[in-house]
Order: sequence, then C-alpha cells, then structure tokens
Amino acid sequence: MFPTSQQTIGPFFPRGFIADADNDLTRVTAKAKPTKRGETILLRGTVTQQGGKPCVNAILECWQADAAGRFAAVDAEADPDFIGWGRTFTDVTGAYEFRTVLPGGFTDGTGTRAPHANLTVLGSGLMRRVLTTVFFADAAGDPVLGSVPAGLRPLLLAREDGKDGKLRVFRFDIRLRGEGETPFFDL
Amino acid sequence: MSDVSWPTGVEPVVPIPGYPNTWTHTPQRPAIARAPGRTELAAPPGIARKLGVGTVNLAERVPGKPAIGQLIEISGRILDEDGRPIAGAVVELWQANAAGRYAHPIDQALAPLDPNFEGHGRILTDADGRYAFFTVKPGAYAVPVQETWWRPPHLHFSVFGPSCLSRLVTQMYFPGDPLNALDRILCSIPDAAAQQRMIARMAPPAAVGDRYLGFSHDIVLRGRNATPEG
Repeated sequence: MFPTSQQTIGPFFPRGFIADADNDLTRVTAKAKPTKRGETILLRGTVTQQGGKPCVNAILECWQADAAGRFAAVDAEADPDFIGWGRTFTDVTGAYEFRTVLPGGFTDGTGTRAPHANLTVLGSGLMRRVLTTVFFADAAGDPVLGSVPAGLRPLLLAREDGKDGKLRVFRFDIRLRGEGETPFFDL
Repeated sequence: MSDVSWPTGVEPVVPIPGYPNTWTHTPQRPAIARAPGRTELAAPPGIARKLGVGTVNLAERVPGKPAIGQLIEISGRILDEDGRPIAGAVVELWQANAAGRYAHPIDQALAPLDPNFEGHGRILTDADGRYAFFTVKPGAYAVPVQETWWRPPHLHFSVFGPSCLSRLVTQMYFPGDPLNALDRILCSIPDAAAQQRMIARMAPPAAVGDRYLGFSHDIVLRGRNATPEG
C-alpha cells in the first residue's frame, strides 16, 4: 500500500494538545519525578522563516537517547525515568524551550554517534515536516554530521549560552528557509 | 534508501502558488539523505502515557451540551505499507467547528465560536488498528490570503506509529465537496490516486442508522523496514 500523503499542520494546532510538561523530556509524565541520571539542561532557540520573521505556533518534537546513550525501545538498561521525547510550540517571538538531559553518544549500524537530539518541526506553510539534528559537543566523526556539507555543519551545533539557575542552557536556532537555512534530513 | 522514500507523486509539491507561507517556510536546499540509525528508527514506548489519551467524543464533551453541527462518526484503521493494522498508535484529530472557525487564539475569522466545541481529541488504536471519533462536520473557511481560497471541510490528523519514521501529519477531506478540487493544499499532491486516498468514504446510511452519518478513512504510515536494530 502507498503511504498517506503528508499535509501541513496549519496554523491552528490546538493549545489543548500541549500540556505543561510536554516539553520536559526528563519525566515520563507530568506527575512523574524527573530522572536523576545525567545533567539536566535547557535547549532553547527560535524558529524563523525567510527574512528572519518568527514562526508562531510552530510545533517542535524532540527525541534523543538518555544520558548513557540508550533508548528504551531497544535497550533494557535504558533509564526508566527518562522518556526522551517532548513537544512544544513556538511563542509570538518564535521561541521554544525543551528541558532534557545532555544525551550520551552511542554506536549503532551507522557508526559512532556523537551526543545529539533529533528535532522535527511542523508549521503553517510547511507541507511536510522537516527533520534536523542538533549536536551538543565536539561531534567530529559523527556519520550524520559527516553527511552534511562541511560549510553547513556549524549550523547543527548547539551553542552554550550561560545558565538559567543551575542548568546549562544550549541554544539552537532553526531557520526554515533562506540565509542561514538549517540543514534538514530526509528521514 | 528506497525502502523509506515516498513514491513519486505522493508528497506535496512545494512551494504552492497562492499559498504565500509555503514560499517563506519551505527549505530551499533539498533534504540531506542519511542512513537511518537508532535515533531515526526507535521511538519512545511511552508517548500515550506522556500525552494522555481518551477523548473520542468531540461533539458532546460535556454530557447534555452538544456542539452545533452535523453529527458524524469518523472511523478507520491505521495501517502499515503492507496493510497490517498498527495497534497502539496514538491518533490526534483537530478541526474547525461547523461554522469553519477553530477554537484557537490565532484564528481571528469572523465565523462564530461554539462554546460547546473545542475540536480536538486523542486516542489509541485498538488491536485491529482501529480508531473512531464522534464529532461534527467542520465548515469550510476562507484563508486570509490575497487570491480567494476557501479550504474545504477537512479534519487534521497527527499519528504516531511505531517508529520516528512513521510519524505522519495529514488532512482528511469529505467526499463530493466541490471545494476539494479547488483546494491548494489537497491539490498540491500530484498523484490523483494519492489525493483520493485523503478523501473519506461515506458509510451506507442504512448500515449506520438514524443518529449520525458515518465516514470511514484508513491512514497508511510509512516505514516498512523501520524495525529498530538492537
């Protein structure tokens, strides 16, 4: 069978679909205690369109390994208190925030993966979701980063941006189109 | 990579003339091919628990306070590319009300809000991959762009399949609506059969009964070979 076609999420993704802790990858539900493993960080940035105008009510979904580089779906030793998935929307300035842990690296069939998180962005004017990967540290040698033209690789590196309380803040801005366009992946 | 790419004509062609946002939001560079690794193939087992599921009756959220509009049931199955049902998929639906207005602060259309209609629900598919929502048929609405464009009545679907590859966001249309053939979003799909697969079928009224109209709509997720390696 053929897959159903993608269509835009449109401008009106319901606020009622996004609860308070949905952007918190460190807890498996809003009422659960956050994981104690790894370093909790804030991942912040903006989503902008051509010319730098903010994308409002764009939806971001974030997905990553736990602090030891494990995924619950494939590894019984993965952190049971860490879901590794979150969702949020951008505000009127295009800003988003995730609370997560610094992911661990791992080795899989594609090679040795540097610490990273996958992000997908959905929004008005985006007929298909876009997918990208943010890297947190020295990611040289990562096969996904290596598939990106060298000149564009810096666009996938999160920038450390001080602290909010005790938490380190990492900044990753996404430009959908035009100057400084974020590299996106096919899957 | 052929096992995960989409067949020709199934994906929307972008940017879309007359849909200005696609000209400022669609990336200019083609997406970079990457080998699917563990991050791309795995998915969190706990999304349903994290998000919460269970809202199936959008038409009467509070008993005794029905929304205004044509009462419908929309039901169908979530399938993989081999036609196998996907049990435990999270299915999200959202839509405009019967007057064509979303209960969303960003929607500033003149059409009235319905205090008894929020227009969104989230459920899990059963063992046969089935989902079903009771709701009201959404109204058409004009998109605030320069060249007149009315969206036909449609439902938005967001589905979480078993892997990150099978994540799908799409829209569903109603059979026989004259606005379908004029819709810039539906018509951005080049393949006519793929367009038809986004249009629901009306269930025979004699089989559904007197209380509501029934529509059936199956959704096929991609990612045939997306089983995560250990």
